[in-house]
Amino acid sequence: MPVDKVTQVGQTKPLHGEIPVYAQYTFGIAGERFFREIKDKGRLMGARCASCDLLYVPPRMYCERCFGELSQWLEVPSRGFAHTFTISHVDLDGNRLREPIVVAMVKFEGVYGGIVHRLGGIGRDEVRVGMPVEMVLKPKAKRIGSILDIDFFRPVLE
Amino acid sequence: MSEKIKAWPGTPLSEKDIREKRILVTEWQPNLKYAWDTGAGYGRYFAELKKGKIVGTKCNKCRRILLPARVFCEWCFRTVDEWVYLKDTGTVNTFSVAYTGTAAERLKEPRTPALIEIDGSDGVAIMHLISDVDPWKVKIGMRVKAVWKPRQRREGAITDIEYWKPI
Repeated sequence: MPVDKVTQVGQTKPLHGEIPVYAQYTFGIAGERFFREIKDKGRLMGARCASCDLLYVPPRMYCERCFGELSQWLEVPSRGFAHTFTISHVDLDGNRLREPIVVAMVKFEGVYGGIVHRLGGIGRDEVRVGMPVEMVLKPKAKRIGSILDIDFFRPVLE
Repeated sequence: MSEKIKAWPGTPLSEKDIREKRILVTEWQPNLKYAWDTGAGYGRYFAELKKGKIVGTKCNKCRRILLPARVFCEWCFRTVDEWVYLKDTGTVNTFSVAYTGTAAERLKEPRTPALIEIDGSDGVAIMHLISDVDPWKVKIGMRVKAVWKPRQRREGAITDIEYWKPI
């Protein structure tokens, strides 16, 4: 059967649509406290399980190993290390970025978990796994209680 | 809540907590625009609807009509053999008297969505609406005919048929 093959993307006859979605995400009890600590006091907190000897970052209400309630909160040093990283050339919608960004999983000594965030103040050819980094906060007046209150993590020069 | 359960465990949140900014909230509004390429089969099917015609395809091996038109037969995985124009008349296979609309809104006057077997298709049916008749008088086996929108209001969609009315 003769069917005209589409050889150019512009030749397609698409139907257009839109799915309206609006979401409000709340952090939960432990998350609420975690982000308020960042916003108001500019510090990272973790929740410790004494019986499993784990310090959770981000903190949570219950230990996922023993299901014990976590009531002990400790400050985590703002200096960690880039556990792993990726260089992203596209944004969340898949649009090409003018300048690629470095996204890293930042971990901390003696901490279970970590924070996924941007690395700043560094050329993308200079990033290394295991590189020490430190948290850079936005000025207090600009913080709203979000992970973006942390501007980025930057390398620590040794 | 029941006799036994007076309150759910946990720490509930209300709309008020969010509105009065008692808790932190992260808002998210994704851009979910999409463009769906109709391809050759559906593409012509929609283009023909705009002209006021119903087109299907035919698989000679399986001896069946495919409607809406597709370019390959999903029974035998062959390219179909030809395009076929079908009549805009048919027979009610099944129907429903619906008091809710497509957005689950309540309707005062019920509508009757139906599965209509298109004449000449050997029993292939499409979903559409029946109107111009008391909903409670619609019957399985009833003969119906398409009522097309005026040409200038057609946009190449199944809604170019306004509804089906009894013959």
